[in-house]
Amino acid sequence: MPQNEHIELHRKRHGYRLDHHEKKRKKESREAHERSHKARKLIGLKAKLYHKQRHSEKIQMKKTLKMHEQRKTKQKNDDKTPEGAVPAYLLDREGQSRAKVLSNMIKQKRKEKAGKWEVPLPKVRAQGETEVLKVIKTGKRQKKAWKRMVTKVCFVGDGFTRKPPKYERFIRPMGLRFKKAHVTHPELKATFCLPILGVKKNPSSPLYTSLGVITKGTVVEVNVSELGLVTQGGKVIWGKYAQVTNNPENDGCINAVLLV
Amino acid sequence: MALYNFKKIMVVPTAKDFIDITLSKTQRKTPTVVHKHYQIHRIRHFYMRKVKFTQQNYHDRLSQILTDFPKLDDIHPFYADLMNVLYDKDHYKLALGQINIAKNLIDNVAKDYVRLMKYGDSLYRCKQLKRAALGRMCTILKRQKSSLEYLEQVRQHLSRLPSIDPNTRTLLLCGYPNVGKSSFINKVTRADVDVQPYAFTTKSLFVGHMDYRYLRWQVVDTPGILDHPLENRNTIEMQAITALAHLRAAILYVMDVSEQCGHNLQQQLELFNSIRPLFANKPLIIVANKCDVKKITELTEENQKIFADLTAEGIPVIETSTLTEEGVMQVKTEACDRLLAHRVDNKMKGKKVHDVLNRLHLAMPAKRDEKERPPFIPEGALTRKKAMEVDAPKRKTERDLEMEMGDDYILDLQKYWDLMNEEEKSDIVPEVWEGHNIADYIDPEIMKKLELLEQEEELKEKAGEYDSDEESEDEEMQEIRVLAKQIREKKQVMVAISREKDVHGPRMPRTTTRVERAKLEKEMGSLGLDMNNKDDSHYAQNARRSRSVTKKRKREASVVPTSKTRSQSASRPPRDQSGVRDPAMAKKAKRMMKHSQKDMNRQGKKGEADRHVYDLKPKHLFSGKRTQGTNDRR
Repeated sequence: MPQNEHIELHRKRHGYRLDHHEKKRKKESREAHERSHKARKLIGLKAKLYHKQRHSEKIQMKKTLKMHEQRKTKQKNDDKTPEGAVPAYLLDREGQSRAKVLSNMIKQKRKEKAGKWEVPLPKVRAQGETEVLKVIKTGKRQKKAWKRMVTKVCFVGDGFTRKPPKYERFIRPMGLRFKKAHVTHPELKATFCLPILGVKKNPSSPLYTSLGVITKGTVVEVNVSELGLVTQGGKVIWGKYAQVTNNPENDGCINAVLLV
Repeated sequence: MALYNFKKIMVVPTAKDFIDITLSKTQRKTPTVVHKHYQIHRIRHFYMRKVKFTQQNYHDRLSQILTDFPKLDDIHPFYADLMNVLYDKDHYKLALGQINIAKNLIDNVAKDYVRLMKYGDSLYRCKQLKRAALGRMCTILKRQKSSLEYLEQVRQHLSRLPSIDPNTRTLLLCGYPNVGKSSFINKVTRADVDVQPYAFTTKSLFVGHMDYRYLRWQVVDTPGILDHPLENRNTIEMQAITALAHLRAAILYVMDVSEQCGHNLQQQLELFNSIRPLFANKPLIIVANKCDVKKITELTEENQKIFADLTAEGIPVIETSTLTEEGVMQVKTEACDRLLAHRVDNKMKGKKVHDVLNRLHLAMPAKRDEKERPPFIPEGALTRKKAMEVDAPKRKTERDLEMEMGDDYILDLQKYWDLMNEEEKSDIVPEVWEGHNIADYIDPEIMKKLELLEQEEELKEKAGEYDSDEESEDEEMQEIRVLAKQIREKKQVMVAISREKDVHGPRMPRTTTRVERAKLEKEMGSLGLDMNNKDDSHYAQNARRSRSVTKKRKREASVVPTSKTRSQSASRPPRDQSGVRDPAMAKKAKRMMKHSQKDMNRQGKKGEADRHVYDLKPKHLFSGKRTQGTNDRR
């Protein structure tokens, strides 16, 4: 016991007060009443925070109780059968045949041609031009309105240099240029911060694709060399597509899902 | 500056509390109302302010944590080492480093989002950006949960460390567990250290203070050390080793002669030899404790040889017993003397001492004749000095008597009187006898002394000691004094005159009474002004112009209105009847008057000219937010 611990030293030498244990017991039993009083009488923001915290506490308590209960009784385990298990009469005897592989390849090529991709967000809200581009007035009397400024997050490549300011029609402000995206692998459920290589397709308009505007649903190519993926042939994969899942201009960051 | 107290470190909140505090502070201290239709720069400013405010709060609090906690390189090496032993230097530095990183990350997040918010063109977008920014900052802090917990525990422990000053005079006790170190410190200082029969009762360093030779000394008690190599030592023993290594103190190595601690003398000697290197350059004393159980002379030959060897090396061995208190004072004085001598020696070897020495000069008076004049020290001082050193019992004080006698005690100072007849000490001294004051007759010479005093006074008065300084005044002063005297006399005369006057009723101011010209001229003349040829003066002209004789006007009968007012004298008619022909007209006039006043009365105005606008809905009662509750009724 360090030299400064007076209370503990006193307790060691002289023991507790005569009513100490009773007082402690009664105080602990009063806690339930005090908690309920608080829950009833709090108002405003404090009430919201308190109720939220209490709700999560109660959920935890219920879970624990249920867990304890489960150990006492034995239940039929419904998902004993593993995923992907197929009844005997549906089993394929030979596995995937070469013909199947070929036909899959052809189907994928056709899809690519058609421009239809299997993406996590198939439908996205189209962004109109007034939303994405803001009119900038120029000229001596501020009457000319041929310049546009991009109001959404965009990506410009490494070797990007602006056109001379007098002639550039689309202004992409530096504050809205992003180089990295937070990409989630859908199966591993892990998120990585990967550099963007380029914008592949913006679903709203090809103009946006060429400008590099990134909105929700845009397919973007990211540098996955960090993940260390390897093809069947032994080549290292260093670029993959990912689709943006949030509104980057509202959140300040680009969240995407890798397309495997 | 090194912190030897460590008590001023602010509390480190847990991650959850930290986030709650900061977010609620942001909610309270920044404006809360913003609407869609506000101008966009206003909306942006509103949300940017919240982001920056939150960032500022986090930054401030984290910086405070970083500055409060001591840097291990800045404090005294004793404390640095102690903290390393107790908290692990690496872990400590890592935790503080993580906090620093968190602080920088939060700053960067705020900077980025404020930059992004400049491009926000709608309330929704700015709001989402602010939400993202605050969320990010809070997530960064949530990750620091473990660092913050660790730092809070360190802070609590650090604030309880005993405040040991590494530079002052210190006595350090060391030895095996259970040899009697804590009992020793309890005897010598007021420190109340726990003493128990089991080993490792003392688990940390304890400090106590004592006085010797008008100086303050620290006594540091350490946990017991066992004999194994340095790498195997646990935290408790390492604290003792740290103290031994860094404090420049006199070492008191305590040994248990009776071997009651569980280790025999041979083992204790081995421990002594193994930590010998730590005793270099420090005055050392061996304390042979528990000598009430067994004295050194009662030991076996080889054990006695141990002590003999030590004494031969020059280390004093003193037998003590903390139970019977023999030898404790001897150890104390011996250790303190040695340490003082050691410190003085060191100071003399240093460079700073010459500055002081050069300024000191002992002046010896030159002998003027051959007579010997040794210093005179009264007997009492010598005996008292001896008593102080030997701790002899002092004479019985009145306080002791009071304690003994309890309720019967009476303070009787007459017993100390020096009388010729001893039995008369307790007699009551009367004050008056046969009409005479005894106090007057205490001194037989008192009348002669009084006469002498009176003669002295006469002489002084004659010599003019009590006269005021009149020659020092110049002519001007004397004139002023004469004038002042005259003014005083005149004032008194005037006061007397006014008192004699019999004044009835209210007193009119002086200006209402007419002052006659002749009287004015006579008064001014008496005061010394020249009042001849004053016919052209202002007052004389005024006197001529005023009507000294009032002519009486011939009384004419004025036209009296045939109404109630006939009975009144022919003086001016009241205003509501002047110019009114008949009762009908009078009634109409009255009606008009009342009509014009109706509006004023209804509005509660004081009169025609009352244009005061009352504030029926003061702003301070009708605006503002309530902390809890609604604004439905105020």
